[in-house]
Amino acid sequence: MPKTGSLAAYAVTRLFLSLPMLLILLTIVFVVLRVIPGDPIAALFAGRAPPDVVAATRHQLGLDLPYWQQYINYVAAVLTGNLGTSIGESYHGKSVLFVILDKLPATVELAIGAMIVASIIGIATGVVSGTNRDKPSDVALRLYGTIIFVIPVFWLGQILQLIFAVGLGWFPAQLRFSGLPSPNQITGLYTVDSLLQGRLDLFLVAVQHLVLPSLTLGLVLSGFFTKTVRANLLRTVNADYVEAARARGIPEGRIISRYAFKNALIPVVTVLGLQFAILFAGAVLTERTFSWDGMGMLLLKSIDSADYPMVQGVIVIYALIIVALSVVIDVINGLIDPRVRY
Amino acid sequence: MALLRRLLFRPFRPLVRERRTLPGILSWIGLGTLISFVLIGIFGPLLISVDQTKPLAYPILLSPSLQHVMGTDGIGRDVFARVIWGTRTSLEIMAIGALLALVVGFPLGLLSGFVGGKLDRLFVLVMDSVYAFPGLLLAALIAAVIGKGIFNIGIAITVIYIPLYFRVTRNQTLSTREELYVEAARALGARSRTIMLSYIAYNVVIVIPVIFSLSAADTILTAAGLSYLGLGLEIDVPGDWGRDLSDAQRFLGSGIWWTSLFPGLMIILLTVGLSFLGEGLNDLVNPLLKKERA
Repeated sequence: MPKTGSLAAYAVTRLFLSLPMLLILLTIVFVVLRVIPGDPIAALFAGRAPPDVVAATRHQLGLDLPYWQQYINYVAAVLTGNLGTSIGESYHGKSVLFVILDKLPATVELAIGAMIVASIIGIATGVVSGTNRDKPSDVALRLYGTIIFVIPVFWLGQILQLIFAVGLGWFPAQLRFSGLPSPNQITGLYTVDSLLQGRLDLFLVAVQHLVLPSLTLGLVLSGFFTKTVRANLLRTVNADYVEAARARGIPEGRIISRYAFKNALIPVVTVLGLQFAILFAGAVLTERTFSWDGMGMLLLKSIDSADYPMVQGVIVIYALIIVALSVVIDVINGLIDPRVRY
Repeated sequence: MALLRRLLFRPFRPLVRERRTLPGILSWIGLGTLISFVLIGIFGPLLISVDQTKPLAYPILLSPSLQHVMGTDGIGRDVFARVIWGTRTSLEIMAIGALLALVVGFPLGLLSGFVGGKLDRLFVLVMDSVYAFPGLLLAALIAAVIGKGIFNIGIAITVIYIPLYFRVTRNQTLSTREELYVEAARALGARSRTIMLSYIAYNVVIVIPVIFSLSAADTILTAAGLSYLGLGLEIDVPGDWGRDLSDAQRFLGSGIWWTSLFPGLMIILLTVGLSFLGEGLNDLVNPLLKKERA
């Protein structure tokens, strides 16, 4: 066991503490899909299949067993990574986990792109707003933060498509790749794969397709950064150590960049963890707007084609990612701020 | 009854008292927007015939003109009529979703914060887990299982906002529980029930309009999102902003902007109004911020 108070000890503790959360999320998915009134198989087929097909599907998936037995089977299956095989049209008979892993990189690429846009725009606007307190630029940027946050992400996507794809023709409006054959799958992130193969032309195509979706999702998320950075900067610009720096005659720009800004970012990382929920929900909508072939599209397609194991699998993977990210964020927090370690 | 009336009016007192401050003005703008939308939702459908919202009512894809101020869409429906009828639909879902979440989340938070101990820790763990999960995905999953419709979507959305009400109510209860006047009431021999309802609930209820406004804005967005994904309402609902945006998608490539712009603007006006109300009220009732302003 590592020494108490060390980062490793903190990471291990945090990992164990995340297990109850994971189990609760898995249980919620179980309850929604199997226990609440309504028959998911019948609902998914929506009257398109005769009763005996519905009954046969239910039996095949073990949904006619008692709840406790289903629950044990389900948790065991998830923990061993066996998410079953697809019963939908497009992926019939294929391993659910395999299909999801194939779609996951698209969503990851979009999420990273959006986070980059959100942090650049959000931090820049937050700093300008926080250092010009109550001046017109501050009021305007605070309004921006409030309004951009409640704009429907799919509507923003459509408007950006109208302006930059249809009107100006700068970027493609749909898909992850077009024109040339897509890069060979290595990581599944087209931008990274094209660079690994040293194909700058493919990289440019990939980036062009990534710009509008990332901008759409990133802009919506940026409002939150604007507000958080501003609020924390206001707290740190008046802190004692900043006053002390000012008294020593250090120029204001340097005070902001070297003293106040760094400490203002710590709480931003903490609340960043909560943003992943919004990021993934927004990604599902953005994927639909831009026909971006990721996890969100897979989920919608699976709901549409009554692919019960796939729906369950996608949701379970989302839950795993959310729990894993919350651990990672907390460990990063421990890394930059020693006070949070247990 | 007197207690219930006091509980109902309590949250709105700061709104009247501080109407001239910036947060006060923001709140009033937000409240005004909400009331306008409610009026549109009630009276709009009485003035505009439902026939205009049906397919093939008019020629398709007419651009905005005097006859059709917002144009017509890809299957010949009047966009203006759809947008007005959609107001009623959205407000109905908002009322069901946000009110049910309040009715379940508020008492749970009060109880959890007041009783404390193991029960509290269990509640917090479950609620925090739900809160961490992407709300839209959970609502989509529930909607896919229980089926479409205004009431069902309201239920699906409720589930994701219960943790919000729970969390805020509980935290407020925890801090109120330690106040001197609660201590004094206890020393005078007041019953637990009396303390919880007349002393604690009375002071916790002040945060409810804040969460209501913010979660209502989110409810509108989530409901529109579900409809956009095709998991929301039945196809024959006379107005559904999310579905209208979904239908508009096909025509974007030909530069048809009006079927997309107007339903989106309605969503934004309503959600911005609700967040002005929520954030303004938050500044008014949050004593920490108040001290900073003074």
